[in-house]
Amino acid sequence: MSKVRPAKLSRELARKVLEGYGEVAGVQCAVLFSSDGFEIASHAADAAASARLAAIGSSLAALGTALAGEAGLGDFERTTIESNGGAVTIMRVGSSRSMSLAVVAGKDAVLGQLLWATQRCCQALAKLLDP
Amino acid sequence: MSGVEAGEFKIVFTGPMGAGKTTAIAAISEGEPVRTEVENTDRVAHAKESTTVGFDFGRITLADGSVVRLYGTPGQVRYRFMWDILGRGAAGVIVLLDASAPGALVQLDVFVDAFIPHVAHGALVVGVGRTDVPNAPSTDAFAARLDARGIVAPVLSVDVRRQGDVMMLVRTLVCILGSHTAHGVPA
Ligand SMILES: Nc1nc2c(ncn2[C@@H]2O[C@H](COP(=O)(O)OP(=O)(O)OP(=O)(O)O)[C@@H](O)[C@H]2O)c(=O)[nH]1
Ligand SMILES: [Mg+2]
Repeated sequence: MSKVRPAKLSRELARKVLEGYGEVAGVQCAVLFSSDGFEIASHAADAAASARLAAIGSSLAALGTALAGEAGLGDFERTTIESNGGAVTIMRVGSSRSMSLAVVAGKDAVLGQLLWATQRCCQALAKLLDP
Repeated sequence: MSGVEAGEFKIVFTGPMGAGKTTAIAAISEGEPVRTEVENTDRVAHAKESTTVGFDFGRITLADGSVVRLYGTPGQVRYRFMWDILGRGAAGVIVLLDASAPGALVQLDVFVDAFIPHVAHGALVVGVGRTDVPNAPSTDAFAARLDARGIVAPVLSVDVRRQGDVMMLVRTLVCILGSHTAHGVPA
């Protein structure tokens, strides 16, 4: 059976959660997406940007899953891409493999703080969408 | 010159959702292919349960000892960035299509346009499945579509679930590559 993507109301609530999370220092935008690359909710990213982040994020999450499996390490949890200008973290939401969150942060973000806050955000989203 | 010099090169399987890229690579790969399947939540686009969102990866060894790395792309346009990543450095491309799917001829154009820039002239083979379904366009219709655009490429009728059919696609592509070896197919 297919889990359909969350209904409109849940998506609106998810957007509120992301909005609160957007207050974390350095966070530029955040996109919650389905494992097959559709945006579910986003914060501070326009429609085109969040659609692209959702697609690329889903590929990375799937590659992370394949790599962790190949290495015998179990399930994918998160990955962080660090670059000159900042970092992007992709974190699984909840225990199912159906959703992940992508967060773009600037240079001013402290990675440890960012990961901690992202984890909290993912827990809140999981409670909301992945009972 | 016959065949490609023994070495290692990369072939990309592409085409729209449900054309059979993942099935084709699984049919011929030596050992379990790498897959990046996730649940398909867009059952309007296609009814199947899962879809590729990263890439498929398999390997085969040809009779002359050369190793072919097989990559399968995602099929949806939102993964276009992945098409370009996977297309880079490809020696040749196999475009798969499901003749019974709506708009199959237009899909041929989409994938040919996306991948022609990545491959040396001519290193393209088209595999069309389910041509036996009533009202589905024939392989001739796909060939004519390419012809009208001045693109010369073999069009084969295939069932991607059959190893022999998929190997025929690969061998046809390798033949084309062999005839261009002078132009530097990766050795
Ligand atoms: N009945 C029938 N089924 C076929 C035929 N050719 C392929 N299939 C089926 O079509 C499906 C193709 O699915 P995939 O291999 O996942 O397709 P894909 O191109 O990798 O799709 P995406 O990754 O979603 O882009 C498989 O279930 C095959 O068994 C055919 O000739 N007849
Ligand atoms: Mg596939």
